[in-house]
Amino acid sequence: MKRPLHPLTLWLWAILLAIGVVAADSALIALAVVGVAAIIVWARADGSVWNRSFALALRIGALILAIRTIVGILIGVPIPGTTLFRIPILNLPSWMPGIRVGGAVTLERLSSSIHEGIIIATLIALFGAATSLTSPHKLLRVMPYFIYEIGITLVIAASLLPQIASSLRRIRTAQKLRGIEVRGIRTLALPLLEESLTRSLQLAASMDSRGYGVSRKRSRYRPIRWNSDDSMVIALTTGLSIAMIMSAG
Amino acid sequence: MITFSNVSLIYPHSTKTILEDLSCEIAEGEMVLVMGETGSGKSSLLRLINGLVPHHTGGILAGDISVDGISTRSVKPGALAHLVGIVGQNPINGFVTDIVEEELAFGMEALNFPSETMRKRVEEVLDLLSLNSVRDRSISTLSGGEQQRVAIGAALVMHPRVLVLDEPTSALDPIAAEEVLSVLHRLVHDLSVTVIIAEHRLERVIQFVDRIIYIEGDGSTAIGSAEEILKSAELVPPIVRLARALNLSEIGTSVREVRRLTEDIRAREFLSDHIHSIERRPAINISHISISYEGHSALKSATAIIGAGEIVAVMGRNGAGKSSLLHAIVGLLSPHSGDVLVNGIDPQTLQGATRRRAIGYVPQEPSDLLFKQSVEAECTQADHDNEIAPGSTFSLLNRLVPNISLSTHPHDLSEGQRLALVLSIVLSGNPEILVLDEPTRGLDYRAKSLFIKALQEFATTFNRPVIIATHDVELVAELAHRVLFLAEGEIVADGSTLDVLLSSPAFAPQVSKVMSPKPWLTVSDVLHNVGTV
Repeated sequence: MKRPLHPLTLWLWAILLAIGVVAADSALIALAVVGVAAIIVWARADGSVWNRSFALALRIGALILAIRTIVGILIGVPIPGTTLFRIPILNLPSWMPGIRVGGAVTLERLSSSIHEGIIIATLIALFGAATSLTSPHKLLRVMPYFIYEIGITLVIAASLLPQIASSLRRIRTAQKLRGIEVRGIRTLALPLLEESLTRSLQLAASMDSRGYGVSRKRSRYRPIRWNSDDSMVIALTTGLSIAMIMSAG
Repeated sequence: MITFSNVSLIYPHSTKTILEDLSCEIAEGEMVLVMGETGSGKSSLLRLINGLVPHHTGGILAGDISVDGISTRSVKPGALAHLVGIVGQNPINGFVTDIVEEELAFGMEALNFPSETMRKRVEEVLDLLSLNSVRDRSISTLSGGEQQRVAIGAALVMHPRVLVLDEPTSALDPIAAEEVLSVLHRLVHDLSVTVIIAEHRLERVIQFVDRIIYIEGDGSTAIGSAEEILKSAELVPPIVRLARALNLSEIGTSVREVRRLTEDIRAREFLSDHIHSIERRPAINISHISISYEGHSALKSATAIIGAGEIVAVMGRNGAGKSSLLHAIVGLLSPHSGDVLVNGIDPQTLQGATRRRAIGYVPQEPSDLLFKQSVEAECTQADHDNEIAPGSTFSLLNRLVPNISLSTHPHDLSEGQRLALVLSIVLSGNPEILVLDEPTRGLDYRAKSLFIKALQEFATTFNRPVIIATHDVELVAELAHRVLFLAEGEIVADGSTLDVLLSSPAFAPQVSKVMSPKPWLTVSDVLHNVGTV
């Protein structure tokens, strides 16, 4: 089970499923795909920090679904159908024609908002699943060299983000414990900026002194190979994706 | 191996000379310690060796440094990567990848080593540093000692002839520090690697080093054997202070040597001091608290009562639950079960000004609390926050560390000065209890003794408790009345500093190792007893 798949396989898998979900345009299929993704993430989790990104993606997806639903209720073109309930219409100035806030909420209007929300959330969940199964670091290792150069810069920038988040939490706690209740952006920004700058400089110094960029060519420790498993996963997913596209047609 | 010829260094926009006319030769297989006050240019000296200074940092360099015949002026740091391995003060900031094995291979990949060579060398280093069990773990999940060893390993895979380390043990508990130092010792003796190391806690490294480069505040340097330098130096480890205080004929750098010199003193009989236990009004009441994060239990049913005026040290290995205990006391974490009362109040309910008056907390990174542009602005803010007379905070600071200029930016202060500033800000709130998390990282001996005096004054004058989490056994020996020793989230020992420190050889301070079996922890303990005969 734990024999690792090629990082590209998992990304292709996510992309193919995403194409299928968009083409099929069905909330039920989308939910089923999220379920499958959840099972796979759960089964293949290897305990790295990136594993958490699936849960994070689900949360972002749920948030988007909620926002889409609320916006769908409040604003939008009236779709005729069974009226569920009415909310008062807000009078907008005359220079904003064609937009209506409030009014009758029909079953059709609600379900189409939820439907769209689910499709978007599914796409986010799929990419969350791909990230949580292969860290961006691993994906970069199989990329061609000219991408690698740019990519490593991106990875370093990306690895700073969680560090910034944790420093931010630490600084806020410390300040809360000093009894500073009113927090301006300055009280947080200054210590944070100072720390991030120091860190980036230290990282750059470390890469520099370890010979990064000295040789035009880089070798790879433990090259990653494409196996028959990978081909099989891709073939199956392609089939599934085509089936979904056909179901829509 | 390394030649410094007439090296002087000064940074632009600064009037301070970092190094003045340093000339010396460091031979292959030598272990050299760089010491000096905080902010005296130890890190700059280390980074001159692979050219990070001035290529990376700027600065005006006179003279020349050559490593194995290559002048660092003429090449970039990367071109010396196969020759010089450098491990920075904060290894976590220098990691490029997220898995141990990949991190070890990073430097070799950059230099286009063939795959087979890389595999072989990674295995070698994993064995040498006993990292085999964590080879495929994510680096962020490792303990401080393991991270430090990964950083050393990442430098060693390149088979460098010179290894440069900046305070490699400052974040480590005594046991992890010993592991790292014994690895270095082995590299020097078995592989003839030249090791240059900067460190404040001399008691940890002094017995391993061959020579010392001492950097004075004005940039001038002295080079010599450990005995020569320490004979006249101002910053010396307890073992040398002991030798000076007892007027021994010579000073030694290892426990074994000084024990030989003090045989007659230990042979004498002394009246054992009767220690009175003082009745203390309970101030902090910790009863059966348990804390767990993500299924991992950080604290298991910890119970302790801390009295007014008591100075308590919280010790234990990295990850033993020290921070969790501290966080529960200051009200940052809510325990799963059990409760904490600080002078009868639940610390979690405290806010704003009431919090400042109830609990003073100095975090691990003191600079987290600083956000103004000058020392003056910080002090004024504290006066204002606590509604005290303008200038009070600054006069407090002035008593801790005299001669800080009001207009200095907090970032430009030395470690010791910054800690003093944060301490005065916290103390200006006149808190009922004081809690400090690892405050002495990066402090030299002088800054540390000022700090000890300030805390003792706070505890005795106001009769208020001080709780301090630390790895520094010498600090605990000088400062604390009582030690709570944590292991795996449990309080495994709770007793007087004397009992707890003497019961574990790894946590025993240097003086007690020399004087064993006499129960003395510090130089002043020894003088107090020897003086009474």
